[in-house]
Amino acid sequence: MAKIWQIIKYEYMKHVFHKRFLFSLLSLPIGVLAMFGVAFLIGRFSVDRTPVGYVDHSGILQNSTREEDSSDLFDPRIELITYQSEEQANQDLTDGNIQAFYVLPKLYPQILDVDLIYFEEPSSEIQSQFRDFVSFNLATAENIDPLVKERLSDGSVINMESLDGSRNMRQDQWYLILVPFVAGVMFVIVIMTSGAYLMQAVVEEKENRTMEIVITSVSPNQLMTGKIIGNIGVGLTQLVVWLIFGWIGLKVAGQFWPILQDFSLPGDYITVILLVFLPAFVMIAAFMSAIGATMTELKEAQQVQGLISLPMMVPFYIASSIIMNPNGTLAVVLSFFPLTSPLTIIMRMAFTVIPTWQIATNIAILFAFAIFSVWFAGRAFRMGMLRYGKKLSLKEVLGKGAVNE
Amino acid sequence: MSLVEVHNISKRFGETQAVDNLSFEVRPGEIFGLLGPNGAGKTTSIRMILDIFKPDSGEINIFGGKMEEEKKKLVGYLPEERGLYQDIPLQRCLTFLAALKGMSETEIAPRLNEYLEQFDLLEARDKKVKELSKGMQQKAQLITTLIHDPQLVIIDEPFTSLDPVNTEMVKDMLEAKRNEGKAIIMSTHQMNQVEELCDRILLIDHGKRVLYGTLKEIQQSFASQDVMVTPLVDLPESIEGVREIRKTNGRYRLVLEKHAKPNLVLKNLINNGTDLVEFEIAVPPLNEIFIQVVKKQDRGGNG
Repeated sequence: MAKIWQIIKYEYMKHVFHKRFLFSLLSLPIGVLAMFGVAFLIGRFSVDRTPVGYVDHSGILQNSTREEDSSDLFDPRIELITYQSEEQANQDLTDGNIQAFYVLPKLYPQILDVDLIYFEEPSSEIQSQFRDFVSFNLATAENIDPLVKERLSDGSVINMESLDGSRNMRQDQWYLILVPFVAGVMFVIVIMTSGAYLMQAVVEEKENRTMEIVITSVSPNQLMTGKIIGNIGVGLTQLVVWLIFGWIGLKVAGQFWPILQDFSLPGDYITVILLVFLPAFVMIAAFMSAIGATMTELKEAQQVQGLISLPMMVPFYIASSIIMNPNGTLAVVLSFFPLTSPLTIIMRMAFTVIPTWQIATNIAILFAFAIFSVWFAGRAFRMGMLRYGKKLSLKEVLGKGAVNE
Repeated sequence: MSLVEVHNISKRFGETQAVDNLSFEVRPGEIFGLLGPNGAGKTTSIRMILDIFKPDSGEINIFGGKMEEEKKKLVGYLPEERGLYQDIPLQRCLTFLAALKGMSETEIAPRLNEYLEQFDLLEARDKKVKELSKGMQQKAQLITTLIHDPQLVIIDEPFTSLDPVNTEMVKDMLEAKRNEGKAIIMSTHQMNQVEELCDRILLIDHGKRVLYGTLKEIQQSFASQDVMVTPLVDLPESIEGVREIRKTNGRYRLVLEKHAKPNLVLKNLINNGTDLVEFEIAVPPLNEIFIQVVKKQDRGGNG
């Protein structure tokens, strides 16, 4: 156990205390931050925040109040200025003190017709702010129960629910669906990263020709256990750091969009993620070590690695067809194929209810494949570990009696 | 009791019979030379002793039984394929490899310091391994082999890339280990080192045992009927019992007649009044024995 611990420590420190790791660690949150930054700047500066004026001949805005401030960073509230006459308003519009003004005619409550005077049409966000303002005060004028008034100004929210009642989603929380999706993609990235590190760790033993010294000190099983745990540790460190960044991000963003504060991952979703990713990780780790053991140089190994990592990411590239038709043939087939199934299942789960038999079969296939890949990697490792400068062919690994046991 | 007992092991890789029914033993307190031409099966034999390969048939006992994980820390191995982690500082690399042999960090630090000092590597301890010269890496590799004070040391060409000073130092170290009762299996092609260091040797060719025994016995078994003498003055033109006299580098090689004994020749020389500085039975150098045996094997193998 002490030796395994030494290997874990060595593998972990080797990556975590490397500049490259810090870079890959920070690149995602910085990238996300930059994206939000750009979106924020666009939201903030693309909207003209010059006040909007109104002339109310109908009198319904006489003792006007505005709804509690529900504006956010992307949709800042603009000032509304009341004018007694069109002339005054026109003057201010010409002077550039306001960007537009509304005129509510005397018969507004009957005809519900409003004029908007401008040089350049105000953005839809600004028009909807004025619309909300009018409907809020219209309700006040009609002397409606405050609760009804609130409901009236909130409008209707459609709450969709799956037939079996296991899933539901509010219309105004559509982006919560992205959370499991993002979590799934993050898991895949962690698996791929850990797998790549693991492959590197194995091929390095060959490149450095240290394998012979190491396996006369520890057993191949201890060596691989240590390497796998050490490199999962690296991947998990990455995940935890990202989650911390994400959590801080959500807390900060929650200040501006309160709705983000009540996001959560459903329990069954977490269970399925774990059941899918446990065998998936073992499978990837085994394949990566097999590649590491059969190749002679890191560069070569990285090329072959694509054979595993590309299919893994296929569902991501064709995400739109899976999302549009999460129970279609393509999505179902991809969830049966071991390399594409982890990401496909995660995506489908975010957008539909997958039949239980399918999930069970997919997970069973993944587990079976994980066991096969460990067996395969064991053979490749025993045969390839002492072959310096010579590749091992697939035929040799699968051939009979090839392993010296 | 022997530390290593090898009984009739064989190993085949595809069409090649790497090791063929090989038996030998290695005892505590000896330096055991494992010799043979390239591809004779030396490395395969070593790997089987270390349980990296399993023999197809035969049995190996090490420390009185099968190889186990616990016994690995009793073995120090310097493989033919040298290897250290290139991308990390020397000290970290050596500490990690020593820890894999079951040493605690408190044990490692002082002993590593001692070795680094002895091998003149103290200043290089923080350098990355790949920045060290070949000779320095070789010394570092030797530290890895010896730092955990193994009972059995298996070394493949230990003197490669070492300068004469370091070669002497390593030789002294190996001799010190032998005197402590450790067993050392040394595989090398440097026959002069074998002659200087080894107590017993095993010569294998095509995976088979060709010569096995103490160095002395083997050399004597190859000794011809020749005598080497260095006289103070010139030798008489003919000596009783001597068929031919050849002069080489100030020495004389006396080829004896078929039934003549060296004792008789010595007696005759003294009776003649020849003053001698040196008189010895001509023992063929190991190098010659090696070449002779391997060539004979090849002829046997081909014909």
